[in-house]
Amino acid sequence: MRNIRRPIRFRTKDNMANRGTAQRPNGQTQGKICQFKLVLLGESAVGKSSLVLRFVKGQFHEYQESTIGAAFLTQTVCLDDTTVKFEIWDTAGQERYHSLAPMYYRGAQAAIVVYDITNQDTFVRATTWVKELQRQASPNIVIALAGNKADLANKRVVECDEAQAYADENGLLFMETSAKTAMNVNDIFLAIAKKLPKNEQAGNGGSSGQGRRLAEAEGQKATAGNCCK
Amino acid sequence: MNEEELLKRSAAERDRIFSCYDRGRENGVEIDPWEDPAYEVYHTTDRYGFIHDKRLPMKMDPNEIKLHHVEMERVKKWEKMTKDWESASTKEKLRRRIYKGIPDRFRGQVWCLLLGVKTLKKEQAGKYDEMLKLARQWSTEIRQIDADVARQYRDHIDYRERYSIKQRSMFYVLAAYSMYNMEVGYCQGMSVLAGLLLLYMNEEDAFWGLSVLLADKKYSMHGFYVDGFPKLNRFIEHHDKIMNKFLPKLKRKLDKCGCDSILYALKWFFVVFQERTPVTLGLRIWDVFLLDGDRILPAMAYTIMKMHKRYLLPMESLDEFCNYLQMKLEKDFGFDDDTVISSMERNIEELKRAKLDYPGPPLPQELPRYPFGTFKEPSFTSKVGRRSEEFSEAQHVMRDSVTQRRDMAVMEETRDSSTPVDPVSCGGLGGSKFSFDPSLEDGTSPNGSRRSLADTSVTSTADLSVFSSATRSQALDNSLDTQSNISDGSSGSGGLPTPRATPHQPSPDVVRIYVPYTPPSPASYKDDLPRTLPRSLETNKIRIRVDPDQTPIVENLKPFSLESPELELDLK
Repeated sequence: MRNIRRPIRFRTKDNMANRGTAQRPNGQTQGKICQFKLVLLGESAVGKSSLVLRFVKGQFHEYQESTIGAAFLTQTVCLDDTTVKFEIWDTAGQERYHSLAPMYYRGAQAAIVVYDITNQDTFVRATTWVKELQRQASPNIVIALAGNKADLANKRVVECDEAQAYADENGLLFMETSAKTAMNVNDIFLAIAKKLPKNEQAGNGGSSGQGRRLAEAEGQKATAGNCCK
Repeated sequence: MNEEELLKRSAAERDRIFSCYDRGRENGVEIDPWEDPAYEVYHTTDRYGFIHDKRLPMKMDPNEIKLHHVEMERVKKWEKMTKDWESASTKEKLRRRIYKGIPDRFRGQVWCLLLGVKTLKKEQAGKYDEMLKLARQWSTEIRQIDADVARQYRDHIDYRERYSIKQRSMFYVLAAYSMYNMEVGYCQGMSVLAGLLLLYMNEEDAFWGLSVLLADKKYSMHGFYVDGFPKLNRFIEHHDKIMNKFLPKLKRKLDKCGCDSILYALKWFFVVFQERTPVTLGLRIWDVFLLDGDRILPAMAYTIMKMHKRYLLPMESLDEFCNYLQMKLEKDFGFDDDTVISSMERNIEELKRAKLDYPGPPLPQELPRYPFGTFKEPSFTSKVGRRSEEFSEAQHVMRDSVTQRRDMAVMEETRDSSTPVDPVSCGGLGGSKFSFDPSLEDGTSPNGSRRSLADTSVTSTADLSVFSSATRSQALDNSLDTQSNISDGSSGSGGLPTPRATPHQPSPDVVRIYVPYTPPSPASYKDDLPRTLPRSLETNKIRIRVDPDQTPIVENLKPFSLESPELELDLK
């Protein structure tokens, strides 16, 4: 639709989405603020953009336009006493755009590799992405595998067990998600947030200057060399 | 029908209608969609066919009425003009009138004329059907095309319904094209081109229109969509040059926030500002794009950044930039279409004066290598849709240049924040220009080494960041040009020489500047020097050491503050 609705920002706590006003990280309690770069990868039309849209704006568009190039959005979640800000890079899925992907996953602390449970090829493609990330991305990157379109269970091709076994073998987080029904969408981001180290290196939000500013505001040390390995 | 039957029929009708009201809405009553208020589609559809969330106002606002009248007046002129397309008077008036906007009812006809669809279609009679037939048997792009047709322009009434006539046309056109130009096949973004053309022309015309957009040198979109996106690199670098020169502050801000131009400009260029500007403005941009070709892309990109500079400059995060450039502008551009287009016209002139209006003709790797319509049986892997795990050579080039550019931006940012320089003191340097003559810049250098050159230039930009932004952009231009001359001589054509200045870890104490040791035009170089050397000041001194075998080094000899530096050029 031409009229894009005003984004609804929400704060997520204990797996519950409380819709409310945008969260001001600096206005929070003394809790830590961590900023993480997260990239979404996966075959075309598996629902990467829809997952982001659901997570960031709480919306679902039936006909989400194809991502040409990449999109960038942010969302903040609360985790105990820590505020985690995700800088989310949503990428184009077509193979032709593959050469741009390293630009987005380099320096990323987390990745969600998405496939479509109704399409076996997209799962195979997801495993290729995982391999590439293991080889090329930061060694400590937290990778989550998302079997999207879980609402289309009657068209399921990729079995949950199969994907779970693969994820276990490779040390990935795994969930089946549905951007349409919102199933497990916040949860997968929260699971990632939980797994991410929130110690001294927290606050290195990839390459954006904001990461440093935030960290400094919190009185943390941001060493330049620590940015973007 | 006899009288009795007629009476019977009337009675039956009466009963049926009565029973409808008796039953009300329950018990599975059949109601045609148009009978219910839910069927609002015609109230929410604008004159271009796009469906809105809300009912459109019944009355046009005064401005709209005025525009409507102006368009009606123009229709008369266009009627005359299209009848006499080849005449001298048409040629004389055409440009002016197209910049004012083609009346919508003439768009299809005029777009076809500008693209030369009719001739091509005649020359290649039967080809479209042939390609479509081949596609049914051989195309390896069908899954991707299907995925994109299913979500392209779904807010347009013609594409609203799945498998509608227009959706079918879009699918056929893209499928046929994937066989006609097998080097490109199908690349995401092309559904926008096909979809838009189909709103204004029939299926076969749209196919040939798409073909012209990719193949004709004027538009040359083949280079955008072919493996490795060679043209994208070139246009992004050109855009960066424009930004550095004319909007340096904004460019620095974007860099600081990690907003690489590729993030917003890729889509602008690939689909010519569709889906990133409001519908009506998008059409106006297409009018002039089809007239003037791909030089419109950098001009419009510059226009957007320039017009929105004051809103963009205060932004502090990538989030804000992306939201603004990728979403807000499409919703509400903030300026009316006429203002935007005439601003772009002025900007084209401005760019022309700086020789930055045209990024140059396509490079060899941006052009198709094989004649169109030649069929080659796809490989097994592409037939079964298996993806290669490795990058192709062209993709390597793309990946490397993109990541390198990011590195440079990050490095520059690191340097900016680790060097105690604030924009104010930078500005104070304005008087002591460490500058080379920007007119050395040759904006149309057609040789194939541009990509690696620009990599070098980025190094220079990064290293020069402690100087004023104005100085930076000029030095950037200069190093670009010089380098192109060097590589012309040393590596022949088409080769990609390694950048001379290699990236190095930034340190706040040492400033390294790439300075050409074989200046291409010594005359202008010398002329410029006396002006650039500032007054002698013993306390502040940096020295630039230029050694033919090494990266030239600027050394900071004495405590150095940027307010009044002295540059001592040590040119061997």
